[in-house]
Amino acid sequence: MLDDVEEMTLLELTDRLLHRGVVLTGEATISVAGVDLIYLGLNVVLSAVETMNAHKRKAL
Amino acid sequence: MTYLLHAITRAGPADTPPGVRGAPLEFIAAGPLGAWATRDPVEGGTREDAFEHHRVVEDICAAQPCLPVRLGTRLVDADAVRALIAARVEELLLTLERVGGRRELAVTLLWPESGVEPGRRHTPVEARTPGRAFLERKQSDQAADDARLATAERLARALETGLATEQSDVRHAMCPSSKVALSTAVLARAGEADALKERAVEIVSGLDGVRGVVSGPWPPYTFAGTP
Repeated sequence: MLDDVEEMTLLELTDRLLHRGVVLTGEATISVAGVDLIYLGLNVVLSAVETMNAHKRKAL
Repeated sequence: MTYLLHAITRAGPADTPPGVRGAPLEFIAAGPLGAWATRDPVEGGTREDAFEHHRVVEDICAAQPCLPVRLGTRLVDADAVRALIAARVEELLLTLERVGGRRELAVTLLWPESGVEPGRRHTPVEARTPGRAFLERKQSDQAADDARLATAERLARALETGLATEQSDVRHAMCPSSKVALSTAVLARAGEADALKERAVEIVSGLDGVRGVVSGPWPPYTFAGTP
């Protein structure tokens, strides 16, 4: 069971991992023969979930 | 083949730490810079994978100045990595120069726990029309939001004054959630991070009306990205 301090530390660290740091890919896409070479991967999925949850909270 | 990126540095260190879940870590040179990446990482997406990325970034940053790359940046080959770095090499070099060898602290100020958010009051259900009750509630909430924001700004100024750091080394997020009054990232020189953390703990313990948590030091995640 995490106490408040540990929980807040984990949340702050997770926020940094997901939403900060150098964004190399941005909105650019490099393609060769029509195949996209860039995969945004996990951060896009998690960011999308976060955005979806934020919209859900606003709607309630 | 895919690469999961972790950090950008000028050169590879003498010792190569392991990548995520034991997969090989590679340094992909790109002109004056290079990217550290786990080659063919196991498909993940769990919280443990996120912390594995953090562990790899910590290992790299412990050896030399580095810029952490946002979690989940995957590229299919080394040429794609080189192309993206080449497109922004001047900007990355400048950022690396400014924040590369430094550490980041997180200062979080929480509103006191209670059933109702601070500054907010429930509009009593009385013999009012639903429309009027709704508008009164909206007005009350707006006033509470304004008051909370003003408090957060005051706390941010108090924190900056107490830490005595340069303006460019502090970034605030005011009222980022209902429980948090202020989330602040502070950039510190590597050798001064622990002392600055102690000072931050002392400052937040003296602030009225909030509970403070000071975390880190970590690699400079917040300051590596665009403000």
